[in-house]
Amino acid sequence: MAVKVAIATRLRRARWLTYIYFRCLGQQMKAILAYEADFVILLISAGLVQITGFLFIWTVFQRIPDINGWTFWQVVMMYSLIFITEGVGSLFFEGTWRVSRLVYNGNFDQILVRPVSPIVQVLAGAVGFNGLGNIVTGGALLAISLGNVPAQWTPGRLLMLVILIISAATIRVAINLATSACAFWIKTPWSMVPMFVHQLGEFAKYPITIYSMAVQAMVVVAIPFAFVSFFPTAYLFNMESWSAIGLLTPLVAVYCMFMAVWIFRVGLRRYESTGH
Amino acid sequence: MRGLNKYFSIAKASLEVIFVYRAGFAFNMIGTVFYVVAMFYLWQTIFLGKPGALGGFTWPEMKAYLIVAFILNSTMTWFDEWTMGSDIREGRVATDLARPIDFQLKRFAEAIGPVPFELVSALGIGAVVAVVFGGIALPADPVHLALFIVSAALATLLKFAIIYCVSMVAFWTTGMEGVQNARMAVQNIFSGALIPLVFFPEWLRGFASVLPFQGMISTPALTYLGAMDGPTTAFMIGTQAVWVVGLMLFGRLLWRSAIKAVTINGG
Amino acid sequence: MPLIEAHGLTKQFRQAVKEPGLVGSLKHFFTRQYKDKLAVDHIDLSVEAGESVAYLGPNGAGKSTTIKMLTGILVPTSGSLIVDGLVPHEKRQQNARKMGVVFGQRTQLWWDIPVIESFNLARDMYEIPAARYKANLAEFTELLGLAEFMNIPAGKVSLGQRMRADLCMALLHEPKLLYLDEPTIGLDIAVKDSIRKFIHRLVEERGTTVMLTTHDLGDIEDICNRIVIIDSGKIIHDGGLADLKDNYARDRVIHFQLARPPASMEPICAGLPACDLHADGLSLSVRFDRFEFAAGEIAAAVMPHVEVIDFRIDEPEVEDLIRRVYLGQLSLAAPEPTADTPESAVAAEA
Repeated sequence: MAVKVAIATRLRRARWLTYIYFRCLGQQMKAILAYEADFVILLISAGLVQITGFLFIWTVFQRIPDINGWTFWQVVMMYSLIFITEGVGSLFFEGTWRVSRLVYNGNFDQILVRPVSPIVQVLAGAVGFNGLGNIVTGGALLAISLGNVPAQWTPGRLLMLVILIISAATIRVAINLATSACAFWIKTPWSMVPMFVHQLGEFAKYPITIYSMAVQAMVVVAIPFAFVSFFPTAYLFNMESWSAIGLLTPLVAVYCMFMAVWIFRVGLRRYESTGH
Repeated sequence: MRGLNKYFSIAKASLEVIFVYRAGFAFNMIGTVFYVVAMFYLWQTIFLGKPGALGGFTWPEMKAYLIVAFILNSTMTWFDEWTMGSDIREGRVATDLARPIDFQLKRFAEAIGPVPFELVSALGIGAVVAVVFGGIALPADPVHLALFIVSAALATLLKFAIIYCVSMVAFWTTGMEGVQNARMAVQNIFSGALIPLVFFPEWLRGFASVLPFQGMISTPALTYLGAMDGPTTAFMIGTQAVWVVGLMLFGRLLWRSAIKAVTINGG
Repeated sequence: MPLIEAHGLTKQFRQAVKEPGLVGSLKHFFTRQYKDKLAVDHIDLSVEAGESVAYLGPNGAGKSTTIKMLTGILVPTSGSLIVDGLVPHEKRQQNARKMGVVFGQRTQLWWDIPVIESFNLARDMYEIPAARYKANLAEFTELLGLAEFMNIPAGKVSLGQRMRADLCMALLHEPKLLYLDEPTIGLDIAVKDSIRKFIHRLVEERGTTVMLTTHDLGDIEDICNRIVIIDSGKIIHDGGLADLKDNYARDRVIHFQLARPPASMEPICAGLPACDLHADGLSLSVRFDRFEFAAGEIAAAVMPHVEVIDFRIDEPEVEDLIRRVYLGQLSLAAPEPTADTPESAVAAEA
């Protein structure tokens, strides 16, 4: 009985936090939509970035049949997963990129005096509309590449597809959140460490089998970008030796989020504000 | 010559800024290395799987192409639409208008200031990457090296001229982040930064050849490799020069009309 | 039980000792040398519900650090702190529900969205029941004159308007405790006045406990019934305004208005050896220690030598007093404050 009540309380709390998150995010969206031209430009530019990326892969595959046994549509799927998850990060969780500046200026104080989880406030702290462009173009590329998956689409596989996309996005956001917490240790006005780690995502655009062991270890174990693109793609295309690992993606996502929250909380205790 | 002293000082001050923000600079630089390394692995796999030349490139030539592209992309990174755009939007250009200096020259001095430092850093990183991946093709001969230096200098001027023109959009919109991303996307594909233009199908190559962007990476890189014959090299470098002069003048024109429009609108 | 209770509350900041430049950063990375800085040094503080406390001190004395520990922003290094039954940094969010904060230099409002939207967001975050929210909003809008800029984004209103809106936002959830950090900084006199009146009313009518840091003595006289002064991380005075004057204000100045300039100052000076005399044309002022002389004695010593038309006695201004406390210029019967603060480096902080 007591357990039931505790669970009910937790659920209510989670629902309330979700509501607060969307309330904050909604306000940020409204503020940005006031600048209509900027909004359109951001969308178009994000689309352009992806189209050029796609053109690159397409051009390469005009000359060769496959890269280490990975075909055109498989690489496109990896590529699209990287962009969709990046889009989700920008559109819904852009706030992680503001942490450095907030901590550096001492404006993180404002977050701490409110009765709402600082992590929720950070995540809802900004909106990057270029993310919408990424999601739309990335989504289109994903849809087309899914059409080229040879296997049958059973309900189970469809469900797994949804779970994989959500997990991949979660991993991406968790990496952003964890690296943003570096601001509590390294004080700079820019998101130096997050940007640095973000760039590691470049490696996840291509099959990881092309890299040396050191690079592979980095993107599989240290900062698991491979679970954002490579392993989910391997699972969806039934790539023998790798597809089983793709099933681990949801677990990796939970682990990443858990670690990110933990790192952020440890960092929070170190927060020193400014101007004592 | 004395009139240029002030621009020299501006360039020097701009270089010093990089030393102040060196940590951010270093992180940026290392971040772009990931991209280059990923590209190296990708092309290595492609070339190993298909011995011989691809699109006319041998593997050592391809490596040289990637390194040259990396170095050219690593220069003039501190001058961008965002910086100049916010100067325009927040009215800081007003102080420039009140001074006895040429606006475009001043901006150029600011942009060129950090280039020596960026160049040294990029050359260092490029050398390390080149060695790790087993060396790259060297310039065909001293003449091509000299021509390459000329072409690379023009490429840098061209980059400035393009960013300068695009920055003028700031008079009409605040969304410089998007404008900059769009410029970089178009530039990346049509300059040959992502892939040598020769790999493109005919229609796309035709498109690239009428745009100024090929002068930013493709022309200097191909000059370095000696991949074009004498007349073609001369023609391509000439094309670069024409684009530089044309876009510089176009930028001045844009600036003048924008200023006029702003003044009339009651700034 | 007091609302705020601190015992031996201490906050120590670790500062990296490093040489400038990249080489310095690298060296630091390997040597890891730090210097400790005591911002708040074993303070004891107890505040009862309903009190309004002015928390004063020079820049870097530890005022903001204390407030930030009380609000749960900073984790204390040692000592105990209980605010309304909670340890603030452990139960930060619960603590936040019971307090309102206004930082004069920073706004709690969302910069890009209309002021009213910020209030509505606060309503949701603090889970304020609709009826109470409506009533409070109406009351504060009226008292603080917010109606005219309610629909303008916080980034576009004037500083005075922003400050008033910030006050409103800090109070919508009816906090027991209100922390004000430099609430009137940079404001014009009319706005200052309306803000002080508002806070005064809040204390009187709602019994809100107020803790205020300020550099503006007008804030203190209008709002506070208790003054706590912190210097170099230690509390050096805790009491009422009158206590402060009694403890610290030993000097009085008598100003004489003369009919003619004094022929010679020497006889007057001779009669008042321990005093500080200052003559300028037709005015003569004497600064004296009120524990040694009575005002009458001074007058009696001066009168025989000059013709006095008028005189008045100046009590020290609180402002002047506190300034002198900050400067360490105090001579008084109360415990010597600055003698046992070896970490005087603390005072150098910004």
